[in-house]
Amino acid sequence: MIYSAWIRQLQSLTIVIFTFIISAQTDVPRPRGVSLSKASLYSPTKDFTCFDGTSTIPFSYVNDDYCDCFDGSDEPGTAACLNGVFYCTNAGHRPQNIPSSRVNDGICDCCDGTDEYATPGRCSNICEELGKEARAKAQQLADLHKSGNHIRLELIEKGNKKRSEMALQLLQLEKDKAEAEIIKNEKEVLKSELEAKENEALQVYRDAEEKDRQRKAELERQQQETEASEQFARFDSNSDGVLTTDEIKVVNVFDKNKDGEVDQEEILHFFGDKDSVNMEDFMSTTWPMVKPLLMLDQGMFRPAVKEEDDEPEVDEEEETQRVEDTEDVGGDDENIEEIPHDDADEQDIEPEQSRAYDDETQKLIDEATEARRQLTDAERTVREIESNIRTFQQNLEKDYGLQQEYATLDGQCLEYEDKEYIYKLCLFQRVTQKSKNGGMEVGLGEWGEWAGREGNKYSVMKYTNGMACWNGPSRMSIVNINCGLESKLTSVTEPFRCEYKIELTTPAACDDSNLTQEATHDEL
Amino acid sequence: MSLTFRSRHTSFFEIDIDSIYASNSIIKSPQNSNVELKRTFSHHLVIIIAKETIHTIRMKALSLLLIAAFGLSGSLAVDRNNFKTCEQSGFCKRLRGFKPEKSQYALNVDSVFVHGNVLSAEVFTVDHDDDKKNILWRYALRLSALADGTFRVEMDEAEPLYPRYRTQIALEGEPKGDGLKLISNENGKLTLSNTQGHKVVITIEPLKIEFVDHTGEVAVVLNENSQLVVEPLRVRREKIGDDDEQGNIVEVSIPEHTDNFYLKTTTSGEPYRLYNLDVFEYELDSPMAIYGAVPVLYSHSSKRSSGVFWHNSAETWVDVVNFSESTVVSSLVNFMTGGQKQRVDASLLLTHNQQSKRSICFQKFSLAYHQSRWNYMDEVDLRTVDEGFDEHDIPADALWLDIEYTDKKKYFTWDAEKFRHPTEMVSNLTAKGRKLVVIIDPHIKREAGYFVHEDCTAKDYYVKNKEGRDYEGWCWPGSSSYPDFFNPEVTQYYIERYKFENFPGTSKDVHIWNDMNEPSVFNGPEITMPKDCRHWKPRNKEDSGLASYWEHSYAAVWTGDNAAEWGFLQASVPMCISLATAGISFCGSDVGGFFKYPEAELMTRWYQAGAYQAFFRAHSHIETKRREPWLYDATTISRIRDAVRRRYALLDFWYTLFYEHSIDGLPVTRPLFQEFPKEEATFTIDNQYLLGDKLLIRPVLEEGVTSVKVYLPGKESGTLWYDVDSYHAVAANGWINLDVTITKIPVYQRGGTIVPRKERVRRASSLMANDPYTLVVALDSNNTAHGTVYIDDGETFDYKSNKYIYGSFDYQPAAIAYKFINKDANYPTRSWVERIVIAGIKNAPKAAKLVQGGKQTPLQMTLHRGNDVLVVRKPGASMAKPWEILFTY
Repeated sequence: MIYSAWIRQLQSLTIVIFTFIISAQTDVPRPRGVSLSKASLYSPTKDFTCFDGTSTIPFSYVNDDYCDCFDGSDEPGTAACLNGVFYCTNAGHRPQNIPSSRVNDGICDCCDGTDEYATPGRCSNICEELGKEARAKAQQLADLHKSGNHIRLELIEKGNKKRSEMALQLLQLEKDKAEAEIIKNEKEVLKSELEAKENEALQVYRDAEEKDRQRKAELERQQQETEASEQFARFDSNSDGVLTTDEIKVVNVFDKNKDGEVDQEEILHFFGDKDSVNMEDFMSTTWPMVKPLLMLDQGMFRPAVKEEDDEPEVDEEEETQRVEDTEDVGGDDENIEEIPHDDADEQDIEPEQSRAYDDETQKLIDEATEARRQLTDAERTVREIESNIRTFQQNLEKDYGLQQEYATLDGQCLEYEDKEYIYKLCLFQRVTQKSKNGGMEVGLGEWGEWAGREGNKYSVMKYTNGMACWNGPSRMSIVNINCGLESKLTSVTEPFRCEYKIELTTPAACDDSNLTQEATHDEL
Repeated sequence: MSLTFRSRHTSFFEIDIDSIYASNSIIKSPQNSNVELKRTFSHHLVIIIAKETIHTIRMKALSLLLIAAFGLSGSLAVDRNNFKTCEQSGFCKRLRGFKPEKSQYALNVDSVFVHGNVLSAEVFTVDHDDDKKNILWRYALRLSALADGTFRVEMDEAEPLYPRYRTQIALEGEPKGDGLKLISNENGKLTLSNTQGHKVVITIEPLKIEFVDHTGEVAVVLNENSQLVVEPLRVRREKIGDDDEQGNIVEVSIPEHTDNFYLKTTTSGEPYRLYNLDVFEYELDSPMAIYGAVPVLYSHSSKRSSGVFWHNSAETWVDVVNFSESTVVSSLVNFMTGGQKQRVDASLLLTHNQQSKRSICFQKFSLAYHQSRWNYMDEVDLRTVDEGFDEHDIPADALWLDIEYTDKKKYFTWDAEKFRHPTEMVSNLTAKGRKLVVIIDPHIKREAGYFVHEDCTAKDYYVKNKEGRDYEGWCWPGSSSYPDFFNPEVTQYYIERYKFENFPGTSKDVHIWNDMNEPSVFNGPEITMPKDCRHWKPRNKEDSGLASYWEHSYAAVWTGDNAAEWGFLQASVPMCISLATAGISFCGSDVGGFFKYPEAELMTRWYQAGAYQAFFRAHSHIETKRREPWLYDATTISRIRDAVRRRYALLDFWYTLFYEHSIDGLPVTRPLFQEFPKEEATFTIDNQYLLGDKLLIRPVLEEGVTSVKVYLPGKESGTLWYDVDSYHAVAANGWINLDVTITKIPVYQRGGTIVPRKERVRRASSLMANDPYTLVVALDSNNTAHGTVYIDDGETFDYKSNKYIYGSFDYQPAAIAYKFINKDANYPTRSWVERIVIAGIKNAPKAAKLVQGGKQTPLQMTLHRGNDVLVVRKPGASMAKPWEILFTY
């Protein structure tokens, strides 16, 4: 602190050079500002040792309006020590410890007025009055808790009942789930069997199709080869089986940019980094590039107008994109009925269905389709049960107070209106705010946790992660809970930016046993 | 902040050869003076002036823009596009590019007339085109010799189209004159002299004016490089050349900028700009104009210091050139120095204040701790904050209400819902010795039925636009108009509004915060009023600006809308030194930063720094997280408490410094070189400073440091510096490295000084009035020390009728004596001396006795050997009468 800070650092020897003692203490049972419990530490017949043990001083230095002890213990009744404590008895009301700096500062801090002894008459003793008021208030509160406690007991009963019902329901759900899984497995087996048959029948069709495709491809390849070798022969003027740069320099078609000359860049384009190409390389790399130019030369086609060329391509891409997007969205949301992935080949089959199958095959396909549908249904049933189980488990895990007194309040919504807004607190769910002038509902927090101080955990609820504030944190709400005969909100304020304070009264918070405990605590 | 120096056309020019002429360029504010009138009966006036910038409208626009451009809004910064650069100012651009071969200006020798302290003469511009001289324009030049070795130069058109605007209210009346004699007129030069032996040499053509000190050295030159331009009712330019002397020279001041205290070369960048602007999220290290402007510039070397006060309220741009050998300030307003004056120290600032306005004695509470926020939302909120200070045992003297307390930004009204019981609210505060400060902005909401608006409209009190209709701008209330304080009738009307009966809920414990007085106009050019607005008197076509909204005489200032960043904490120190040197000592920054949120370390350091800056107020933006001290962890709370307590323990020292400031005008917070003018190493130190001539402060302004460099000046004179935490003495030897912890900032008491303290820190300063003093005596190498104390009721103007004590303490090894400096003054204080700490005592006395009023009382002492600290226990001497303590060895 201030003076004591430096003096505390001194390790040096302290010598009292000259001692002149003024003894002006009147005979008092205990020095001013000392509580009864500490009275024995101040004995007028002995030197006084500071509580921290750092020094011993003549007893006359106690309360002599000069701070000798680092811990302020020598000046319990004056303002001399910055870290001192003044005790007022406040007979008729609660006793009080105040900082020494409030002694004789002109402000009445103790109800018995003892802190302003330097100006007698400034502060009158109002402890009796205050005590009476406080006791009446305490009585009122006790009465409230008493009547509220009846309701609380009912809430506890209902809460426990609700919980055991939920536990029972959960058990039932587990059972249901097991049954549904059996059905699902059966359907899965059935589906596999039927799909095997279906595949077998369809294989015939697929094989035929594949053969047809291969035949066409082979035909085309042969045509290409013929054409290529014809051209190769035409360009290979010395017929040595290798096409050199000199040989193509004279061929117009290689003059890609039509500047009348086959330049190095163009050669590079067609030959890669080679000086020459043989038949094989020609076939694989050069020919595909040359062919369109050749066809162009021969007037077999004209280059398409650019827009026409590009547009369909883009469209196609977008199309694909769009489809994928849709699938992604579906995949993310469990609640949307989705097509199971192993049904993907169904899409392959789809176009085939336009084809005519023989009756036998068609029947197998129909049976397999039906089996797939049944499996999907069975799987959905399992998921639904699982989701229910999760909800029940979560609710059972929720902390509804020491005796489940808050259990029946889960989901109950209470409203509060001020000049501008309507606030809604749905217990254990969320807090929202809506402007009376309309507009969007603003989330002030989702159920978070009990946040009361130690020993009084269930007096405060915290709802967090509301809508983010401009340039600031997410909104949150603190709900202070007090005893009241009905559950209602008595005030909503925003003491800190984006931090809302809600006052809730509810019988669930009424507890007469608790109250007596607190009251006795105060008396100490 | 808000000094307005906007009219372009006066050419006053005060030059002081011997000492710095820092006229307190602050102007007496009309509404302040009226408040003073109204409140004279009971107390000093404290008007705390301010600056508040955030405007939601702009902010929204800005973030929208960013979203559009980048898809996300990055960190917002000052929008430079809103503010002019030199290039964009015709005036600045024209003159910066001006490179004349030869001055066009010449003195008409035949017209020279010296009478009393004034030389008047005609100056004309000459066109040399065809060998024939053609006179283009004629000007009237006045050179006056003023008391204290100061000269004033004025230049204006001989026959202007209309009289140019002259600022009138910065000075305490007309400066006192000195004699002026024409000594010689030969070789094209006129030589004049004042009664103190300073000479002025005027070269006739091209016109050049040199100011010469006693030794014959040129101190300041006007128009050496022929760059003087007085544009006939257009623009004017002055150039004061340099002389090319010597060593290390430093130029300082011209607040208000975020740059270093010492000025940097500007030729490659923007010049320093002086113009009053409300800058949203201003930048650091910038010559941009912000908030206020004080056109005073000093130049200092180890041999001499000079200063120029540009007595001109026009927008001004200043170019600075630093050469390694000599420093030249080349500029639109351009100053130089050199020569061999001995010292810049204490005496140097004395002179100017003889002529310029001195500050009043501020009420003591204004020097204590203030808690503010935009905004304490309602009465309950304010009360909770008030109680928070008691609960956590942190002292506080005033709580502040920002604009939200009003009924829809109609000043002089209260929000009927949230502030329903202002009188009761105020008495809750005063019951604990605290005060309330409420904001009043000088823009008036244009709303039918609002009495101020109706009055101003009916009586034609508003500033007019160039068409002559009431000027409308956009500010907090929306569409607003601005009372024209050039009209004394408007000023009188505005004064009346502050009367307690006209502003119900206010009383002597409610004080006023003036803000937005650049004036801030959200939709105006550069967020202020267009320059072509018309004011009541000067019939200029151009706007001469709202010449004044505050003054150092009556108000404190803060460094505006800073942010919770280390850089802004760092900037607050040079910004306040600069303001103090220019005459505004009552300066501080928003503790914790206005924008953003300070984490615990920054907050702790800011409180520690703020505790040693004159204006000590925490403030924050409405959108930021709350940060009253108790919202931090317990350790941080106790560190903040400790910092605030340190301030309160020194409050009477601060009060004494400000009393002395009101007498001699010397800065309360001083650059080191003011006290140690020959130590060149101190010239560029602007992260440490002195309080008076007694304490040296080096706030810790860096994150996470475990040691800092501290410069301890005065090696040559064998100065000792005592660490105030340990009373350990360190002999001055320039730079030292000092280990620091989070609880430590280096503060040293200079050997040879005595500092009065009050160790019994209470809830508010008013509750400490009767408390005893601890005197800390720090001995110099001759085992002597000296100090002063000022005591009055801390509140009223009674001190003007000699109800105060201005006392001195003198320590010699044989005795320490307390005497009244002004024997005609007295005050019945109930304070006494509870402790005398003598640090650096080598040879401890054996006995001590107090002598007061013919009574002798033996005293006890404790010696802390090893630290050489002697503590005299409880002398109990009354401070209402002189006393003496005699030591025997």
